[in-house]
Amino acid sequence: MANWTIKNVAFRGVTGTVPNHPVKTSDIPLFTQEEADTFDQTVGIRNRYWSSDDICTSDLCADAAERLITALGWEKQSIDVLLFVSVTPDYKTPPTSAILQDRLGLPNSTFVLDVPMGCCGFMYGINVAGNLLTAGTAKRALVLIGDTAARMGSKNDKSRLPLFGDSGLAIALEYDEAASDIFIDMNTSGDGYSALMTPHGGYRHPVTPESFVEEDFGHGIIRAPKDALINGMDVFAFAISKPVKSMKAILEEKGIDTEKDVDYFLIHQANKLIVDRIVKKLKLNPDKVPYNLQKFGNLGGASIPMIMCSEIAEDLQKRPLNLVASAFGLGLTWATMMFKTTPMTVLPLNLL
Amino acid sequence: MTNLEKLDKIFVEVFSCKEEELGPDFNKDNVGIWDSVHQLSLTSSIEDDFDIMLDVEDIIGCTSYEAVKEILAKYEIEL
Repeated sequence: MANWTIKNVAFRGVTGTVPNHPVKTSDIPLFTQEEADTFDQTVGIRNRYWSSDDICTSDLCADAAERLITALGWEKQSIDVLLFVSVTPDYKTPPTSAILQDRLGLPNSTFVLDVPMGCCGFMYGINVAGNLLTAGTAKRALVLIGDTAARMGSKNDKSRLPLFGDSGLAIALEYDEAASDIFIDMNTSGDGYSALMTPHGGYRHPVTPESFVEEDFGHGIIRAPKDALINGMDVFAFAISKPVKSMKAILEEKGIDTEKDVDYFLIHQANKLIVDRIVKKLKLNPDKVPYNLQKFGNLGGASIPMIMCSEIAEDLQKRPLNLVASAFGLGLTWATMMFKTTPMTVLPLNLL
Repeated sequence: MTNLEKLDKIFVEVFSCKEEELGPDFNKDNVGIWDSVHQLSLTSSIEDDFDIMLDVEDIIGCTSYEAVKEILAKYEIEL
Protein backbone atom coordinates (compact mmCIF):
# COMPACT_ATOMS: atom_id res chain seq x y z
CA MET A 1 0.00 0.00 0.00
CA ALA A 2 1.66 3.21 -1.19
CA ASN A 3 1.31 5.68 1.60
CA TRP A 4 3.83 7.55 3.69
CA THR A 5 3.95 9.33 7.01
CA ILE A 6 6.81 11.78 6.69
CA LYS A 7 8.26 13.14 9.90
CA ASN A 8 10.46 16.13 10.67
CA VAL A 9 9.73 18.15 7.53
CA ALA A 10 8.27 21.64 7.66
CA PHE A 11 6.95 23.94 4.95
CA ARG A 12 8.89 27.21 5.13
CA GLY A 13 7.68 29.14 2.12
CA VAL A 14 5.98 29.26 -1.26
CA THR A 15 5.68 31.64 -4.16
CA GLY A 16 5.01 31.57 -7.88
CA THR A 17 5.65 33.27 -11.20
CA VAL A 18 3.42 33.38 -14.26
CA PRO A 19 4.14 34.70 -17.75
CA ASN A 20 3.04 38.28 -18.28
CA HIS A 21 0.49 37.31 -20.93
CA PRO A 22 -3.07 36.81 -19.70
CA VAL A 23 -5.44 35.15 -22.16
CA LYS A 24 -9.23 35.26 -21.79
CA THR A 25 -11.27 32.45 -23.31
CA SER A 26 -12.81 34.93 -25.72
CA ASP A 27 -9.28 35.83 -26.90
CA ILE A 28 -8.77 32.29 -28.21
CA PRO A 29 -9.49 32.19 -31.98
CA LEU A 30 -11.07 28.73 -31.76
CA PHE A 31 -14.11 30.12 -29.93
CA THR A 32 -17.01 32.30 -30.92
CA GLN A 33 -18.07 34.71 -28.17
CA GLU A 34 -21.06 32.48 -27.39
CA GLU A 35 -18.88 29.37 -27.16
CA ALA A 36 -16.41 31.23 -24.96
CA ASP A 37 -19.19 32.29 -22.59
CA THR A 38 -20.49 28.70 -22.38
CA PHE A 39 -16.99 27.41 -21.75
CA ASP A 40 -16.43 29.98 -19.00
CA GLN A 41 -19.64 28.99 -17.27
CA THR A 42 -19.32 25.21 -17.52
CA VAL A 43 -15.58 24.65 -17.24
CA GLY A 44 -15.00 27.70 -15.03
CA ILE A 45 -11.77 28.92 -16.64
CA ARG A 46 -12.09 32.56 -17.67
CA ASN A 47 -8.41 33.48 -17.78
CA ARG A 48 -5.05 31.78 -18.01
CA TYR A 49 -1.45 32.93 -18.54
CA TRP A 50 0.47 31.62 -21.55
CA SER A 51 4.18 32.02 -22.04
CA SER A 52 5.81 33.04 -25.30
CA ASP A 53 8.09 30.53 -27.00
CA ASP A 54 11.20 32.02 -25.42
CA ILE A 55 10.06 31.37 -21.85
CA CYS A 56 10.36 27.90 -20.37
CA THR A 57 8.99 26.48 -17.15
CA SER A 58 12.49 26.61 -15.70
CA ASP A 59 12.54 30.39 -16.22
CA LEU A 60 9.32 30.80 -14.26
CA CYS A 61 10.55 28.46 -11.51
CA ALA A 62 13.98 30.12 -11.32
CA ASP A 63 12.34 33.50 -10.82
CA ALA A 64 10.15 32.12 -8.03
CA ALA A 65 13.09 30.31 -6.43
CA GLU A 66 15.40 33.33 -6.35
CA ARG A 67 12.74 35.46 -4.70
CA LEU A 68 11.91 32.79 -2.14
CA ILE A 69 15.52 32.09 -1.22
CA THR A 70 16.09 35.81 -0.65
CA ALA A 71 12.93 36.25 1.40
CA LEU A 72 13.78 33.25 3.60
CA GLY A 73 17.31 34.52 4.13
CA TRP A 74 18.68 31.10 3.11
CA GLU A 75 22.30 30.92 2.09
CA LYS A 76 22.47 29.06 -1.21
CA GLN A 77 25.26 26.86 0.14
CA SER A 78 22.79 25.51 2.71
CA ILE A 79 20.38 24.04 0.12
CA ASP A 80 20.78 20.27 -0.19
CA VAL A 81 17.99 19.18 -2.56
CA LEU A 82 16.50 20.62 -5.73
CA LEU A 83 13.57 18.95 -7.45
CA PHE A 84 12.14 20.10 -10.77
CA VAL A 85 8.59 18.76 -11.01
CA SER A 86 7.40 19.25 -14.58
CA VAL A 87 6.46 17.58 -17.84
CA THR A 88 7.83 20.54 -19.83
CA PRO A 89 11.59 20.34 -19.29
CA ASP A 90 14.13 22.51 -21.10
CA TYR A 91 15.42 19.47 -23.02
CA LYS A 92 14.75 15.73 -23.23
CA THR A 93 18.18 15.43 -21.65
CA PRO A 94 19.88 16.49 -19.44
CA PRO A 95 17.59 16.89 -16.40
CA THR A 96 16.44 20.48 -16.03
CA SER A 97 17.10 20.28 -12.29
CA ALA A 98 20.82 20.09 -13.09
CA ILE A 99 20.62 23.18 -15.26
CA LEU A 100 18.72 24.97 -12.47
CA GLN A 101 21.39 24.00 -9.91
CA ASP A 102 23.83 26.01 -11.96
CA ARG A 103 21.46 28.88 -12.78
CA LEU A 104 20.53 29.36 -9.15
CA GLY A 105 24.14 29.14 -7.96
CA LEU A 106 23.48 26.18 -5.68
CA PRO A 107 26.46 24.14 -4.47
CA ASN A 108 27.83 21.18 -6.42
CA SER A 109 26.78 19.01 -3.49
CA THR A 110 23.08 19.62 -4.32
CA PHE A 111 21.01 16.50 -4.99
CA VAL A 112 18.93 17.18 -8.09
CA LEU A 113 16.06 15.24 -9.62
CA ASP A 114 13.45 15.78 -12.33
CA VAL A 115 10.00 14.48 -11.43
CA PRO A 116 7.74 14.41 -14.52
CA MET A 117 4.46 13.47 -12.85
CA GLY A 118 1.92 15.95 -14.18
CA CYS A 119 -1.03 17.00 -12.12
CA CYS A 120 -0.02 14.95 -9.05
CA GLY A 121 3.37 16.64 -9.17
CA PHE A 122 2.95 18.54 -5.91
CA MET A 123 2.37 15.33 -3.95
CA TYR A 124 5.19 13.53 -5.76
CA GLY A 125 7.52 16.47 -5.13
CA ILE A 126 6.71 16.74 -1.44
CA ASN A 127 6.88 12.95 -1.07
CA VAL A 128 10.34 12.68 -2.60
CA ALA A 129 11.76 15.82 -1.00
CA GLY A 130 10.18 14.99 2.33
CA ASN A 131 11.65 11.50 2.39
CA LEU A 132 15.06 12.91 1.46
CA LEU A 133 14.92 15.30 4.42
CA THR A 134 13.19 13.18 7.06
CA ALA A 135 16.36 11.54 8.43
CA GLY A 136 18.04 14.90 8.88
CA THR A 137 21.15 14.22 6.86
CA ALA A 138 19.85 16.69 4.30
CA LYS A 139 18.28 19.79 5.80
CA ARG A 140 16.83 22.06 3.10
CA ALA A 141 14.99 21.41 -0.14
CA LEU A 142 13.57 23.47 -2.94
CA VAL A 143 10.71 21.88 -4.86
CA LEU A 144 10.16 23.76 -8.12
CA ILE A 145 6.91 22.87 -9.84
CA GLY A 146 5.44 24.15 -13.06
CA ASP A 147 4.59 23.68 -16.70
CA THR A 148 4.09 25.47 -19.96
CA ALA A 149 1.36 22.98 -20.74
CA ALA A 150 -0.55 25.01 -23.31
CA ARG A 151 2.33 24.57 -25.77
CA MET A 152 2.30 20.79 -25.39
CA GLY A 153 -0.84 20.49 -27.47
CA SER A 154 -2.25 21.65 -30.77
CA LYS A 155 -3.44 25.25 -31.19
CA ASN A 156 -6.40 23.73 -33.06
CA ASP A 157 -7.53 21.34 -30.31
CA LYS A 158 -10.60 22.85 -28.68
CA SER A 159 -10.77 20.01 -26.15
CA ARG A 160 -7.38 20.81 -24.66
CA LEU A 161 -5.95 24.22 -25.53
CA PRO A 162 -8.21 26.39 -23.39
CA LEU A 163 -7.85 24.23 -20.26
CA PHE A 164 -4.24 24.86 -19.35
CA GLY A 165 -2.27 27.78 -17.97
CA ASP A 166 1.46 28.23 -17.42
CA SER A 167 3.28 28.86 -14.15
CA GLY A 168 6.37 28.12 -12.05
CA LEU A 169 6.12 27.66 -8.28
CA ALA A 170 8.83 27.33 -5.64
CA ILE A 171 8.27 25.57 -2.32
CA ALA A 172 10.86 25.53 0.47
CA LEU A 173 11.01 22.57 2.88
CA GLU A 174 13.27 22.20 5.91
CA TYR A 175 14.18 19.49 8.41
CA ASP A 176 12.47 20.32 11.70
CA GLU A 177 11.95 17.83 14.51
CA ALA A 178 9.00 19.88 15.75
CA ALA A 179 7.16 19.61 12.43
CA SER A 180 3.83 17.80 12.22
CA ASP A 181 3.64 14.62 10.16
CA ILE A 182 2.86 14.80 6.47
CA PHE A 183 0.65 11.91 5.29
CA ILE A 184 0.55 11.05 1.60
CA ASP A 185 -1.45 8.33 -0.11
CA MET A 186 -0.64 7.63 -3.76
CA ASN A 187 -2.24 5.44 -6.41
CA THR A 188 -1.69 4.45 -10.02
CA SER A 189 -3.90 3.00 -12.73
CA GLY A 190 -1.62 2.56 -15.73
CA ASP A 191 -4.32 0.92 -17.79
CA GLY A 192 -5.66 4.45 -18.27
CA TYR A 193 -2.39 5.92 -19.52
CA SER A 194 -3.71 6.75 -22.98
CA ALA A 195 -6.30 9.19 -21.63
CA LEU A 196 -3.61 11.85 -21.11
CA MET A 197 -0.58 11.42 -23.31
CA THR A 198 1.67 12.69 -26.08
CA PRO A 199 1.74 9.85 -28.62
CA HIS A 200 4.90 10.74 -30.57
CA GLY A 201 8.25 12.07 -29.38
CA GLY A 202 9.36 9.36 -27.01
CA TYR A 203 11.04 6.15 -28.05
CA ARG A 204 7.88 4.12 -28.58
CA HIS A 205 7.06 6.44 -31.52
CA PRO A 206 9.99 8.72 -32.35
CA VAL A 207 9.33 11.96 -34.22
CA THR A 208 8.93 11.44 -37.98
CA PRO A 209 7.22 13.58 -40.66
CA GLU A 210 4.04 11.64 -39.83
CA SER A 211 4.15 13.13 -36.31
CA PHE A 212 3.21 16.53 -37.71
CA VAL A 213 0.23 15.43 -39.81
CA GLU A 214 -2.95 16.85 -38.27
CA GLU A 215 -6.16 14.84 -38.10
CA ASP A 216 -9.67 16.16 -37.51
CA PHE A 217 -11.33 14.04 -34.79
CA GLY A 218 -14.55 16.07 -34.83
CA HIS A 219 -16.03 18.29 -32.10
CA GLY A 220 -13.28 20.87 -32.73
CA ILE A 221 -10.44 18.46 -32.00
CA ILE A 222 -7.66 18.79 -34.57
CA ARG A 223 -4.23 17.56 -33.61
CA ALA A 224 -1.14 15.69 -34.76
CA PRO A 225 0.56 12.74 -33.05
CA LYS A 226 3.25 15.06 -31.66
CA ASP A 227 0.59 16.97 -29.73
CA ALA A 228 -0.52 16.17 -26.19
CA LEU A 229 -4.05 14.85 -26.03
CA ILE A 230 -6.76 14.59 -23.42
CA ASN A 231 -9.57 12.09 -23.69
CA GLY A 232 -12.12 14.24 -21.89
CA MET A 233 -14.69 11.64 -20.93
CA ASP A 234 -12.20 9.09 -19.65
CA VAL A 235 -10.42 11.74 -17.61
CA PHE A 236 -13.64 13.19 -16.21
CA ALA A 237 -14.96 9.77 -15.26
CA PHE A 238 -11.70 8.90 -13.54
CA ALA A 239 -11.35 12.26 -11.77
CA ILE A 240 -14.80 12.24 -10.18
CA SER A 241 -14.60 8.66 -8.95
CA LYS A 242 -11.23 7.20 -7.99
CA PRO A 243 -9.74 10.23 -6.14
CA VAL A 244 -13.04 10.73 -4.32
CA LYS A 245 -13.15 7.12 -3.12
CA SER A 246 -9.54 7.29 -1.96
CA MET A 247 -9.97 10.55 -0.11
CA LYS A 248 -13.19 9.34 1.54
CA ALA A 249 -11.46 6.16 2.70
CA ILE A 250 -8.51 8.05 4.14
CA LEU A 251 -10.63 10.62 5.94
CA GLU A 252 -12.64 7.81 7.49
CA GLU A 253 -9.56 5.77 8.38
CA LYS A 254 -7.93 8.76 10.08
CA GLY A 255 -11.17 9.75 11.81
CA ILE A 256 -11.10 13.22 10.29
CA ASP A 257 -14.12 15.44 10.82
CA THR A 258 -14.12 17.51 7.64
CA GLU A 259 -15.83 20.42 9.38
CA LYS A 260 -13.83 20.55 12.61
CA ASP A 261 -10.42 19.11 11.75
CA VAL A 262 -9.63 20.72 8.40
CA ASP A 263 -9.13 24.38 7.58
CA TYR A 264 -8.95 24.03 3.80
CA PHE A 265 -9.31 21.36 1.14
CA LEU A 266 -6.94 22.07 -1.72
CA ILE A 267 -8.32 20.27 -4.76
CA HIS A 268 -6.49 20.11 -8.06
CA GLN A 269 -8.07 22.77 -10.26
CA ALA A 270 -8.78 20.70 -13.36
CA ASN A 271 -12.15 22.10 -14.24
CA LYS A 272 -15.14 23.40 -12.33
CA LEU A 273 -17.37 20.44 -13.15
CA ILE A 274 -14.84 18.06 -11.67
CA VAL A 275 -14.03 20.09 -8.55
CA ASP A 276 -17.70 20.84 -7.83
CA ARG A 277 -18.47 17.14 -8.20
CA ILE A 278 -15.72 16.14 -5.77
CA VAL A 279 -16.90 18.72 -3.23
CA LYS A 280 -20.46 17.47 -3.52
CA LYS A 281 -19.60 13.77 -3.31
CA LEU A 282 -17.48 14.28 -0.21
CA LYS A 283 -20.02 16.71 1.28
CA LEU A 284 -17.30 19.30 1.89
CA ASN A 285 -18.10 22.77 3.17
CA PRO A 286 -17.65 24.98 0.07
CA ASP A 287 -16.21 27.75 2.26
CA LYS A 288 -13.27 25.44 2.94
CA VAL A 289 -12.56 24.77 -0.76
CA PRO A 290 -10.72 27.68 -2.39
CA TYR A 291 -10.80 27.97 -6.19
CA ASN A 292 -8.40 29.76 -8.51
CA LEU A 293 -9.34 27.92 -11.68
CA GLN A 294 -11.07 30.96 -13.08
CA LYS A 295 -7.86 33.01 -12.94
CA PHE A 296 -5.16 30.51 -13.92
CA GLY A 297 -6.73 27.48 -15.60
CA ASN A 298 -5.33 24.01 -15.01
CA LEU A 299 -1.74 24.46 -13.84
CA GLY A 300 -0.95 20.77 -13.56
CA GLY A 301 1.26 19.93 -10.59
CA ALA A 302 1.51 23.62 -9.69
CA SER A 303 -2.23 23.90 -9.18
CA ILE A 304 -2.26 23.17 -5.45
CA PRO A 305 0.73 25.32 -4.42
CA MET A 306 -0.76 28.13 -6.54
CA ILE A 307 -3.97 27.93 -4.48
CA MET A 308 -1.75 28.35 -1.41
CA CYS A 309 -0.27 31.53 -2.95
CA SER A 310 -3.31 33.05 -4.54
CA GLU A 311 -6.17 32.14 -2.20
CA ILE A 312 -4.96 31.39 1.34
CA ALA A 313 -1.71 33.35 1.54
CA GLU A 314 -2.82 35.49 4.45
CA ASP A 315 -3.91 32.53 6.55
CA LEU A 316 -0.72 30.61 5.73
CA GLN A 317 1.35 33.54 6.95
CA LYS A 318 -0.62 34.22 10.12
CA ARG A 319 -1.75 30.96 11.71
CA PRO A 320 -1.24 27.18 11.76
CA LEU A 321 -3.42 25.41 9.21
CA ASN A 322 -4.65 21.84 8.79
CA LEU A 323 -4.82 21.09 5.10
CA VAL A 324 -5.99 18.21 2.94
CA ALA A 325 -4.95 18.14 -0.72
CA SER A 326 -6.27 15.99 -3.54
CA ALA A 327 -4.77 15.69 -7.01
CA PHE A 328 -5.27 13.44 -10.04
CA GLY A 329 -3.80 13.29 -13.49
CA LEU A 330 -1.64 11.61 -16.03
CA GLY A 331 -0.57 8.03 -15.53
CA LEU A 332 -3.30 7.79 -14.45
CA THR A 333 -2.31 8.72 -10.91
CA TRP A 334 -4.11 10.17 -7.93
CA ALA A 335 -3.03 11.20 -4.47
CA THR A 336 -4.28 12.60 -1.18
CA MET A 337 -2.04 14.54 1.20
CA MET A 338 -2.74 15.70 4.73
CA PHE A 339 -0.36 18.27 6.16
CA LYS A 340 -0.17 20.98 8.76
CA THR A 341 1.58 24.29 8.28
CA THR A 342 2.86 26.79 10.81
CA PRO A 343 3.15 30.46 9.79
CA MET A 344 5.30 30.49 6.67
CA THR A 345 6.60 32.89 4.04
CA VAL A 346 4.21 33.41 1.15
CA LEU A 347 5.34 35.95 -1.43
CA PRO A 348 3.06 37.66 -3.94
CA LEU A 349 3.04 36.25 -7.46
CA ASN A 350 5.39 37.72 -10.02
CA LEU A 351 4.74 38.29 -13.72
CA LEU A 352 7.60 37.43 -16.07
CA MET B 1 -42.69 11.15 -9.87
CA THR B 2 -41.68 7.69 -11.07
CA ASN B 3 -38.04 6.80 -11.62
CA LEU B 4 -38.59 6.80 -15.37
CA GLU B 5 -40.14 10.26 -15.23
CA LYS B 6 -37.19 11.41 -13.11
CA LEU B 7 -34.74 10.02 -15.66
CA ASP B 8 -36.55 11.57 -18.62
CA LYS B 9 -36.56 14.93 -16.86
CA ILE B 10 -32.79 14.71 -16.47
CA PHE B 11 -32.29 14.01 -20.16
CA VAL B 12 -34.63 16.84 -21.17
CA GLU B 13 -32.76 19.32 -18.96
CA VAL B 14 -29.25 18.23 -19.91
CA PHE B 15 -29.81 18.01 -23.65
CA SER B 16 -32.55 20.66 -24.00
CA CYS B 17 -34.63 18.12 -25.92
CA LYS B 18 -38.29 17.05 -25.89
CA GLU B 19 -39.44 13.97 -24.01
CA GLU B 20 -40.78 12.50 -27.26
CA GLU B 21 -37.23 12.38 -28.65
CA LEU B 22 -36.05 9.98 -25.96
CA GLY B 23 -35.77 6.42 -27.22
CA PRO B 24 -33.45 3.82 -28.72
CA ASP B 25 -31.91 6.31 -31.16
CA PHE B 26 -31.07 8.92 -28.52
CA ASN B 27 -27.30 8.45 -28.20
CA LYS B 28 -23.98 10.26 -28.46
CA ASP B 29 -23.63 9.48 -32.16
CA ASN B 30 -27.03 10.92 -33.08
CA VAL B 31 -27.33 13.85 -30.69
CA GLY B 32 -25.19 16.73 -31.97
CA ILE B 33 -24.51 18.41 -28.64
CA TRP B 34 -23.65 15.15 -26.83
CA ASP B 35 -20.02 15.77 -25.79
CA SER B 36 -18.01 14.97 -22.68
CA VAL B 37 -19.31 18.05 -20.85
CA HIS B 38 -22.94 17.05 -21.45
CA GLN B 39 -22.22 13.45 -20.55
CA LEU B 40 -20.65 14.59 -17.29
CA SER B 41 -23.67 16.77 -16.56
CA LEU B 42 -25.89 13.78 -17.32
CA THR B 43 -24.06 11.41 -14.98
CA SER B 44 -23.80 14.05 -12.26
CA SER B 45 -27.56 14.62 -12.35
CA ILE B 46 -28.19 10.87 -12.32
CA GLU B 47 -25.97 10.46 -9.26
CA ASP B 48 -27.67 13.35 -7.46
CA ASP B 49 -31.26 12.48 -8.27
CA PHE B 50 -30.95 8.74 -7.71
CA ASP B 51 -28.50 9.08 -4.79
CA ILE B 52 -25.92 6.69 -6.24
CA MET B 53 -22.16 6.86 -6.97
CA LEU B 54 -21.42 5.52 -10.44
CA ASP B 55 -18.24 3.55 -11.11
CA VAL B 56 -15.77 4.89 -13.69
CA GLU B 57 -16.80 2.32 -16.28
CA ASP B 58 -20.47 3.24 -15.87
CA ILE B 59 -19.81 6.99 -16.17
CA ILE B 60 -18.01 6.29 -19.45
CA GLY B 61 -20.77 3.86 -20.48
CA CYS B 62 -23.62 6.38 -20.24
CA THR B 63 -23.54 7.00 -23.98
CA SER B 64 -27.22 6.52 -24.82
CA TYR B 65 -30.68 6.67 -23.28
CA GLU B 66 -30.96 2.89 -23.41
CA ALA B 67 -27.47 2.36 -21.96
CA VAL B 68 -28.33 4.61 -19.01
CA LYS B 69 -31.42 2.54 -18.27
CA GLU B 70 -29.34 -0.65 -18.28
CA ILE B 71 -26.74 0.93 -16.01
CA LEU B 72 -29.37 2.12 -13.53
CA ALA B 73 -30.67 -1.44 -13.32
CA LYS B 74 -27.20 -2.49 -12.09
CA TYR B 75 -27.66 -0.05 -9.20
CA GLU B 76 -31.06 -1.56 -8.48
CA ILE B 77 -32.98 1.45 -9.76
CA GLU B 78 -36.25 0.13 -11.14
CA LEU B 79 -37.65 2.05 -14.08
